[in-house]
Amino acid sequence: MIPDRIIEQGTLTTDGGRAAVEVRLPWYRALPASCISEVALAVDGVRAPADSLTWTMNGETHAIAELATRADDWWFPLDSAVVSGELPVEAGGEHRVDVELKLYIPYIIIGDGEVLRIEEHDTKTMAAASTKEAVA
Amino acid sequence: MTTLGSPIQGVTLYSFTRAFHGREYDLEGLIRKTAAEGYGPGLEVIGFSSFRGFPEIDDRFAGWFKDLVAEVGLVTTSLAINADIGIHRDRLLDQDELIEYMRRQIEAAARLGFPIARVQISIEPDSMERLAPVAERYGVTLALEVHADQYASHPRILALRDRYEQVGSPYLGFTADWGATTVGFAPSLIEAYRRRGASEDLLAKVVDLWNEFSEAGPPKDQADHGQRFGRFIALAAQNGRPDLGVDFGINGTGLFGPARVDDWLEIMPWIRHVHGKFFGIDESGEEPSVPVRDLIRLLVEQGYTGAISSEYEGWHWNSWQSPFEIIAGEQAVQRSAAEAAGSRMITDPAEARAQLAAHLAQPVHS
Repeated sequence: MIPDRIIEQGTLTTDGGRAAVEVRLPWYRALPASCISEVALAVDGVRAPADSLTWTMNGETHAIAELATRADDWWFPLDSAVVSGELPVEAGGEHRVDVELKLYIPYIIIGDGEVLRIEEHDTKTMAAASTKEAVA
Repeated sequence: MTTLGSPIQGVTLYSFTRAFHGREYDLEGLIRKTAAEGYGPGLEVIGFSSFRGFPEIDDRFAGWFKDLVAEVGLVTTSLAINADIGIHRDRLLDQDELIEYMRRQIEAAARLGFPIARVQISIEPDSMERLAPVAERYGVTLALEVHADQYASHPRILALRDRYEQVGSPYLGFTADWGATTVGFAPSLIEAYRRRGASEDLLAKVVDLWNEFSEAGPPKDQADHGQRFGRFIALAAQNGRPDLGVDFGINGTGLFGPARVDDWLEIMPWIRHVHGKFFGIDESGEEPSVPVRDLIRLLVEQGYTGAISSEYEGWHWNSWQSPFEIIAGEQAVQRSAAEAAGSRMITDPAEARAQLAAHLAQPVHS
């Protein structure tokens, strides 16, 4: 619906081993975490391993697979969630960030008990900020 | 002879989705702008879009909201609520769960001062019947939205109408969405495809295909609808743009419904609310794909005294024009059309409040 809004410009961070970026809901109304079906994060064309991805929203961090049971954990349209994954990204520079989101739309039933699933993708280029502890 | 109606002017905040989602205006800012620029007095809100934590609404928030609406001189019309039947990954909600899911949102509507709750087509006649006493308990009218690819004389809508007649509750009705009765594929969406590199030849074929379906009338059932969807996908694929196929199909069948304006007569006595769905305003100040003037004339001549929420849907694709100016333009067409039909749109808040209360208290006699 509004895929150009998914990646928040300027929010890429790295600690050297993991990279993270803020993402927005590409839909007009809040959806629960249980409707987040699949997430993919890539930086400079390299995908983070799927089992390394985490999702931080409403003050809690979960593996993507854990979101399926969280029907009371709402992603409000104004809130950023944070997607993080194992990706060695250098601080600074210009990095191409790709995020894919597959979301169930829980009130749209298409056919026999099947819930509509939308697939949205966004790409933005930005520098990476380091979250490494500064060494004194 | 029916007394001429005088619909209440209003807007749904959904029209401003891009500005709200983009954090240009918060909820209070949008409500204040709606009042200051005269898009009201009717105010419709989507619960899950605008209220954090919905449907949990505490007294303090409800009080703040109602005070704000009163202060700026708006009138709450409809709260759009959702039947999230697919909220669990592994199963659909059963009937008891669905009724409770809707009850909480109907309660929220009452707490926030909305006399109508818009519900969607996924609520079937049995569920509507079970929700009637819930609606009565909270004093909230349930207005099921008739939206493309359905339309008033669609079998699913007629089944609901017939059940309403059996149940006899004044709290069950419909929201008529003008997207069911359009007269063209929106030119602003064609322009958006052009900006995505679609050829003039392909764009002409999209318009021709839509016109072919329009001449044939609305799809007679879901299978017919599915075939039309498939024709749009095939057209895109045959013309080297398979990436646009689903988009053509969703919009060509789900946004621009081809039923005739007088199709609304099938359910007219049960229309409690209207979505003035539209997509853009052209250089001459008219809506090129929605027959706004004919729709207003029909509502006026049928004695409709409820609200019309201008519902601008062009924001999906139109990133080059301000939604605020476009909505002002569409409402000017509505006012002009009401006057041409011998009546007027209600724009005074006190008048709107009194008229809406009377409109909703009227039970249906058919």
